[in-house]
Amino acid sequence: MIKPECSQKVKTEYHLILFVAGDGANSRIARNNLDRLCELELAGRFTLKIVDVLKNFKAAVENNILVTPTLLVCKPEPGVIVIGNLNEHQKVRTALSLKADQP
Amino acid sequence: MSPENFSAATATSKGSSIPKALTGIQGLDDILMGGFPQGRTTIINGVAGTGKTVMAMEFLYRGALAGEPGLFISFEERAEDIRINAAGMGIDIASLEEGGKFRVIHAELPLDTVNSGEFDTSGLLAMIEGHVGLIGAKRIVLDAIDVLMSIFGDPRREREEISILHNRLRDLGMTTILTVKVGPEGKMIYPFLDFMADCVLFLDQRLTGQVRTRRLSVLKYRGSDFLSNEHPYVFSPNGIVLLPVSSSALEQLSFRERVSSGHPKMDEILGGGYFRGSSILLAGPSGIGKTSLACIFAHAACNKGEKVLYVDFEVAQEALVGAMQSIGLDLRPALDADSQLRIRTAMPESMGIEDHLLRIINEMNLFSPHHLVVDAISACRRMGSERAAFDFLVRLMTECKSRGITCLYTNQIRNQENLTRLSGMGISSLVDTIIALEYFFEGQGLNRRMMVIKSRGSDHSSAFHQMAFTDQGLELSRIAGKARCTYDRDRRA
Repeated sequence: MIKPECSQKVKTEYHLILFVAGDGANSRIARNNLDRLCELELAGRFTLKIVDVLKNFKAAVENNILVTPTLLVCKPEPGVIVIGNLNEHQKVRTALSLKADQP
Repeated sequence: MSPENFSAATATSKGSSIPKALTGIQGLDDILMGGFPQGRTTIINGVAGTGKTVMAMEFLYRGALAGEPGLFISFEERAEDIRINAAGMGIDIASLEEGGKFRVIHAELPLDTVNSGEFDTSGLLAMIEGHVGLIGAKRIVLDAIDVLMSIFGDPRREREEISILHNRLRDLGMTTILTVKVGPEGKMIYPFLDFMADCVLFLDQRLTGQVRTRRLSVLKYRGSDFLSNEHPYVFSPNGIVLLPVSSSALEQLSFRERVSSGHPKMDEILGGGYFRGSSILLAGPSGIGKTSLACIFAHAACNKGEKVLYVDFEVAQEALVGAMQSIGLDLRPALDADSQLRIRTAMPESMGIEDHLLRIINEMNLFSPHHLVVDAISACRRMGSERAAFDFLVRLMTECKSRGITCLYTNQIRNQENLTRLSGMGISSLVDTIIALEYFFEGQGLNRRMMVIKSRGSDHSSAFHQMAFTDQGLELSRIAGKARCTYDRDRRA
């Protein structure tokens, strides 16, 4: 699947785009979850772009974003799509190739 | 209240006052009494292969042509495939899209994704609103909404999301069609959809004999009347064509005007000929002269400047014309240039009853015949089943009744079958006139005779008349004495 937003060259290790719908509950939760994760685990080696589909529907169309929140992990390759509010931390960590939380 | 006032009041309360969006699909607007509810949601339920997508597409297409731009969102097929399929039905989406009147979008669902918690369809809504704004869409189709629902995997969430979608589209004033697949036995996967929508259609298909027939029924229409029953439909090169089954067409017309049977003695036996606009059944064994009587009638009508459509399920046109020459009947002048007589031959098993019916009705639209001959209805059983043949004949009869076309049907039966078997298909009570033909032995030879079994609204001879076909034509003579009537005997038995 070609993701136009992902095609740009980024030097960083992690390149993330989070699609949200305004200030909806799940969008807020996802934003908080992602902020915390980036701060704790990815500091200094990520870029994050947040796109509000209510303001920028063309970006939603181009990336075929039907559900929100949707996190596109463009880097590391080959990339992965994570849908939902990112409350299930283990799944998010796996998607980002991070080692599992210590029990 | 006088009776006149009363009938006027019921007439206005018929149908509905809610605004409707014309579908432009042949027959569907009659069934829905004006179209889908405007600015509301309609559900098209149906099993796979019934043409839900095609029907929704045609609704959008005709709307776009009539000045209401449309948005087609597919959750299943790719946009390119939809364009190709539509082009196959003569629907050119691409040029409408270029003109900004139409848009096809494949909403590809994220199937290979990681699910990390709750989500909603705001992205889809934003996308819909964006496109609606860009082309000024008034109509929208969400094709295979069941596929969208399946990503939630939770009945409560499915219901919530579909309600949000439904409310949003209503706020936007969109006339909305949702297509939904149902299970093999018509089992609804999402029954709440039907409660939510203002109008619900169900498409069904079944195989009877060797022939597939598709039917549409309206399950509900909030605030409006509709034609109940199951309405057959076919896919034609001009889109979907529905054949509304209306009970009102069965209302009996009273017959006044006579039309000649083509033979003076026969007219006398009938009490003055056939009635114009009535239906006549000629029943008898093979070779007795049913086709000849039908052709005598057709030939005479053509000579008077009237038009006859002759639907032949038995022999080729040349064979029919040749056979009639042997009894001194020349059909060729009437056939020339298709001006008076049109013979249309078809193999009954070549297609289903809807296609046969559609062909005949199309021909009637183009040719506007005064009379129709169907030779022979016994062949109609080969269209699939006894039931299919019955449906075909009843619908053809009602169609002709509503147009005032005289119908002459021939039917092949075995000699001396009883009265109830004359039509072979239970339609005897629907036809106005029945003429029975049979063989009988007298002296050394096999002879032919005929009798009018019934003729609605008319005095007629109930005696047997001997028939003989010579190269001069038909000769009829009353059989003297008390000839034993096999039909009477069977009736008493």
